[in-house]
Amino acid sequence: MKVLGFDTATDDTVVAASDGGRPVFEGTVPPNEGRPLHSQALLAMAGEAADALGGWEEVGRIVVGAGPGTFTGIRIGVATAAGLAASSGITVVGVSTLSALALGIGELTGADRVMPLVDARRGEVFGCLHDGEGRPIGESFVCGPEELVERLSDADRAGPVPVVAGSGAVRFRDELLRAGLETEPAGSSVHRLAGRSICELGATAERTGTETLKPLYLRVPDAQLWLERDGKTN
Amino acid sequence: MPLLAIETSCDDTCAAVLDGPTVLSNVISSQADHERYGGVVPEVASRHHLELAIPVVEAALSDAGAGFDDLEAVAVTAGPGLIGALLVGLSTAKAIAAPRRLPLIPVDHLRGHVAANFLEPEPLEPPFLCLVASGGHTFLAAVRDHGGFEVLGETLDDAAGEAIDKAARMLGLGFPGGPELERLAADGDPDAFTFPVAMSRDPGLDFSFSGLKTALVYICRDLGEAGTAERAADLAAGFQAAVVGQLTTKLRRALDQEPWPAVALGGGVAANGPLRRAVAQLCAERSLPFKEVSRELCTDNAAMIGSAARFTEPIAYPDYLRFDAFATGPRGGG
Ligand SMILES: [Zn+2]
Repeated sequence: MKVLGFDTATDDTVVAASDGGRPVFEGTVPPNEGRPLHSQALLAMAGEAADALGGWEEVGRIVVGAGPGTFTGIRIGVATAAGLAASSGITVVGVSTLSALALGIGELTGADRVMPLVDARRGEVFGCLHDGEGRPIGESFVCGPEELVERLSDADRAGPVPVVAGSGAVRFRDELLRAGLETEPAGSSVHRLAGRSICELGATAERTGTETLKPLYLRVPDAQLWLERDGKTN
Repeated sequence: MPLLAIETSCDDTCAAVLDGPTVLSNVISSQADHERYGGVVPEVASRHHLELAIPVVEAALSDAGAGFDDLEAVAVTAGPGLIGALLVGLSTAKAIAAPRRLPLIPVDHLRGHVAANFLEPEPLEPPFLCLVASGGHTFLAAVRDHGGFEVLGETLDDAAGEAIDKAARMLGLGFPGGPELERLAADGDPDAFTFPVAMSRDPGLDFSFSGLKTALVYICRDLGEAGTAERAADLAAGFQAAVVGQLTTKLRRALDQEPWPAVALGGGVAANGPLRRAVAQLCAERSLPFKEVSRELCTDNAAMIGSAARFTEPIAYPDYLRFDAFATGPRGGG
């Protein structure tokens, strides 16, 4: 199957294409001075990836990392996937950005228990315990460093220490090290999502309709929190 | 040659299909959720846009009796507006266009409000003077050709619709406040309270609505909660009359400064009955044709974006793949 995969939930814009499991295109556009270039880079790179597969007509499946990550990034990715699918009739599949990250971590380190972490800003991370092949073992969560260390020690008791990586691990590397949890230095490729992981996860995912293509925000809008807390408008 | 147009700059998810100046379908999905927040919350709006974009596009195609195969171009609002909301529409539009190698036509939202007047039935030909008043914008546009407009005057603070929404909230009405305030005002005496006539001595064509809002704050404070509730209809009527008065005063002044062969309105506030009647009367006094587009084409919609797209240079595939939205920026488009 010819698969085109992409993800814009992290600050990187990540696109890849694979043909029968063989990678034929892989591209990453990092943020520019901290500003993600999702809107400018995503479809341009997706067009190149489609060309590498022989054109849009040849694409058999579109896979999108649906989050968690930045809200605007998630929406650019999911809206793009939904638009491509609606217009072309190509099957679309949404996968968890954390699961794709976990798959990459597992491949790079050989670990069979991994904890992918995506920087959730506001002093928090998105995370979810996975096996080494990108299959979640627990629920996705969002939390600060203290709770994260607790969760990792809980995970500890249930099995071997997971390998911790991703932008969230870089963000809280000091806190993790203090708790005795090793992570690779910031520049290591283990922390970055690879487009081929999106393709690989999506290629084997259950075929789903566009109605199941849902963004994975993991957080409600602030305004809703305030409304629920105050019981009135802010 | 059907054109698909998408508009998501604020809280309405809109798609339309046009054949030249003829609107084949015009679907507007209003997000009722904002009422409980008392205003448009960008993150909430953006989430709704993502849920609604494809269903609204598919409804517009189906209403038009068309499919993706029939499309010859995709138009989309590129700005100004809420950036997160705009990005949903733009990403959707680019992704619909790309695999079919269709051209993309990015449209300035404000040009859309003016271009609603170019639509069938009875399209208005430039030149004309157009007053655009909405929750986000208030300005007088000199429309000399189809391709753009010149701003003759604009609000220096709040937009007219923004002022109305705030007044509606002070009077305990829901959001959006325009229709509710108009309904309440119908039972009130516009002369019961004195509102300042803002900018009347200013010789220019700019607007200001923050003084009106402040005046209402003081009146409500003096009346107290019970008093405000009791006199709400009079307050609504007075406030509405002051807004309409300022808009028509500036329109009159613009007509005094330069002869215009016709007058048109645009924006959500242009759906206001008293404003329409006041402008109609002003035009009747001067024997000027007044182009009254339907209310549905005044408030945010995608048909007006498709209308503006007809007079905008399309971008061929693949040149638009890197095209980005803008929250604020160029206006008039020339
Ligand atoms: Zn508008």
